Amino acid sequence: MRIFLTILFSLITFLGSGQTITAPDSRSYVLNTADQNASGFSLSGFNSSDILLCAIGLPTAPAGTTFYFTTTTGLTPASGYTMTGNKSRIAFTGTMANINNALASLKINTPATAGSIQISVSATVNPAGFFYNPTNGHFYRPISSGTTYTNARAAALNTTFKGQQGYLVTITSADEDAFVFNNVPQTNIWFALTDELAEGQWRIDAGPEAGTLIKTSNGQFTGNIAGQYNNWAPGEPNNSGNEDYAVTKWNGSQWNDLPNNFSCPYVIEYGTWTNPDNATFTDFYTNSTTHSNGPTLSVRFNVSTNNITNSALTAKVHYQPTGSATWTPSTNIARSMTLLGGMDVTSDIDTNRVVTNTYLSTISPGQVEWSYINLFNGSVTLHIDQRKVTMSPSLISHVSILDVYSGPVTFTSSNGTWAMYNIPVQIPKLTDGTSQFNSYIRNAGYNNYAFRCEVTMSQNREYKKQALFFNYSTSLSALYNNVVTVSDVYTAFRQFATQGGLTGTSNGTAFTSPIQYIAADVDGNGIFDEKDCFELLQHITGTQPLSASNLTDIIRILSRSAYDGVTSSSWNTVPQKSFYSIDLMDGVLTYTNNISIFWKGDVNMSHSPSQSGSGQINMSVNPVTMSMSLNSSTSASDVKASIISELIEDELSLTVQLDQAQSAVGVQFMVHYDNSLLSYKETKFTSVGSSTNFASDKGDYISLGSLITDGNSSLDNSTKYVLKFKTKSKMTNTLGLISVYPVDAVTKNGSQIKINIL
Amino acid sequence: MKKALIIMAVAALFGGCTKYEIEPVPPPIIKDIFSVSQSTVTNAQTFNFTLPSAGPYTLTLIDSLTKQVISREKIYGGAGLNTRNIYTKTIQSKYLQLVLLDANNNQIGKTTIITK
Repeated sequence: MRIFLTILFSLITFLGSGQTITAPDSRSYVLNTADQNASGFSLSGFNSSDILLCAIGLPTAPAGTTFYFTTTTGLTPASGYTMTGNKSRIAFTGTMANINNALASLKINTPATAGSIQISVSATVNPAGFFYNPTNGHFYRPISSGTTYTNARAAALNTTFKGQQGYLVTITSADEDAFVFNNVPQTNIWFALTDELAEGQWRIDAGPEAGTLIKTSNGQFTGNIAGQYNNWAPGEPNNSGNEDYAVTKWNGSQWNDLPNNFSCPYVIEYGTWTNPDNATFTDFYTNSTTHSNGPTLSVRFNVSTNNITNSALTAKVHYQPTGSATWTPSTNIARSMTLLGGMDVTSDIDTNRVVTNTYLSTISPGQVEWSYINLFNGSVTLHIDQRKVTMSPSLISHVSILDVYSGPVTFTSSNGTWAMYNIPVQIPKLTDGTSQFNSYIRNAGYNNYAFRCEVTMSQNREYKKQALFFNYSTSLSALYNNVVTVSDVYTAFRQFATQGGLTGTSNGTAFTSPIQYIAADVDGNGIFDEKDCFELLQHITGTQPLSASNLTDIIRILSRSAYDGVTSSSWNTVPQKSFYSIDLMDGVLTYTNNISIFWKGDVNMSHSPSQSGSGQINMSVNPVTMSMSLNSSTSASDVKASIISELIEDELSLTVQLDQAQSAVGVQFMVHYDNSLLSYKETKFTSVGSSTNFASDKGDYISLGSLITDGNSSLDNSTKYVLKFKTKSKMTNTLGLISVYPVDAVTKNGSQIKINIL
Repeated sequence: MKKALIIMAVAALFGGCTKYEIEPVPPPIIKDIFSVSQSTVTNAQTFNFTLPSAGPYTLTLIDSLTKQVISREKIYGGAGLNTRNIYTKTIQSKYLQLVLLDANNNQIGKTTIITK
């Protein structure tokens, strides 16, 4: 029974119970505004009756950012906290349900300073006797019994908590100092700071900052190193009686130096990271979202290119200063494409704003009705008294009206008294009474709403217009050759033939995705035909370099919507780009650009987001449709070939030979074999001149053939392939264990001809 | 005894029921395959045929639709009854011609094969 229970317990442990913290999507907050929605975090997977410790902090935020809850039912604040009022951090305990109710009511107050606001939420089953600092994600354990500094330092190192080794607490910021002050009830607390090695040279004595010099001489401010946190009491440290060790909460909230033989309480700290998201505590869960406060530009690219695993593209971000036609490269860095083609170039975007020749009109509370809005038939028209417009009214491109609207406007006309602008959206706050400046808005009748206001002008600051360029590089060349194979080319051939033969139309539905026509049209003439296939074949067999004019621009970029909108009849009219323009001029703070890239020749669209599944080339094609012939008769212009196999003991030998090559410069066969009974060993080639021969084992078939591209010679009946297989068991004969299917042949002028195996 | 029961219970928990494999019954040999106009075959089908004399021969499989030769094997047969196999796993055509030629390319036998 014990064994069974052990196994059961192991299974439960292995499976876990799936505790998670869900975080909301990033938001853009309005500057200097209270009571903004910060909900969206929630806990799940915890035992509903467990008392959890939950901590919320702002690891990154402009000074003055605070948050608060409107619902705190059932929650108990941790030592040093209260549940009410504005916070920059808080820790509390409660059940999962009560915590989720509080998280759903989270509000944020933003300062006037723009920047990123990271809200971090952490949760774990409440560990009694430990305090969690949500700002740095560390746990702190106060030890109330007194001991010497050196004993405290050693004792701390002998402890572990949630998989982390403890260390005597370090105090590296006012924030951490305040945390210890507020949460640890004892006073005169040893912390890891000493000048035992050199008098007056105060160094951090434990933890990740061990050895850091923060002060070079005694005295409250003397020798304090800029950038290092010091908080000494007046006159301290003074080394009175050989004092080499520091305490905090000395006579209040400051530091003092004491000798080692003092018996003081101490605090053990757990955690070595600075960002709570990096915490590696066991059975501890955390998540965060970084929002923007004010005009912080965030650009995210979703580059859709499935199944690229190990290559790199050179991404260049160019920008165009306002009023200039010059695109200037700001970076040229190879970006790794990982997972499903994700490539982050966010850091390459130039987020510096430039002053433009347009103006923002700000309508702020005042005494006189200098402006009004007229609502009529769904249009929203702003009127500004022209005495307040200090430049040509047409230069105003944006307005900020109290708290009811902030965004672009279009100048429509001026009658000399009023300048009129169209606002492109409805403004509910104008009429629903929710504006905090409602007392400055007067319903003047006839759908007019007048503003008691002042009107000021400022030049717009806008982001530069930018563009993302993709360039293939050596590594892309390798990728290209790895992914697009001769078989792909013949897939294109086959699709072309299936569509209507060599003289048929190239439009239609032969490909499974219309975008494949664009990829297959390698010469870019709007027609997919056998010349495209031949040209690509020359390229991927190495006889035509990547710099060939028709293949110079391999990467093609479309917006994701354009990509998805390509049809089998519109593919040759879809404009393709070699760069993707990013228009950041409208002042929107957050951009997500969904773009798709593909490259010429990838006719199987192994990287297409619309081509799900394995993403690799489908090699198990029907050999009947592989044949380029639409009838089964033999023509004098066909290439003729013969095959024969022979089993000698455990070696099976297959010979494929051209009997009449008919000026073919390229041929390809597929040799299928039963891999449960045979192992492929090798292929030996005999062919004329400088032909490129290939034989690629795909596991259950071998793609083989030859190609000559010197422009003069062609294949002849000396072309022969001898394939060797080994039987996996003793056999008397092998009829049907190998079957040979011709793919097709190509002549010098790119025409396709049939192969007949006789 | 209790330990034995526990072991059995754990074994039953992880091992599940014993799976009894059913040995496939080999298809019957097709006798004198060239004496009939067509035969239906499965993978590794055994068939026999009669040769007039010992020597090299070729067995050829031709796709009935495209007329392409898809497999051809050189064999050394003895006079009288010979037994061979035909493997169909790699063959993607349902209808085939099986042709037996002697060393001088004289046709000794021909029949239609339908793969199952």
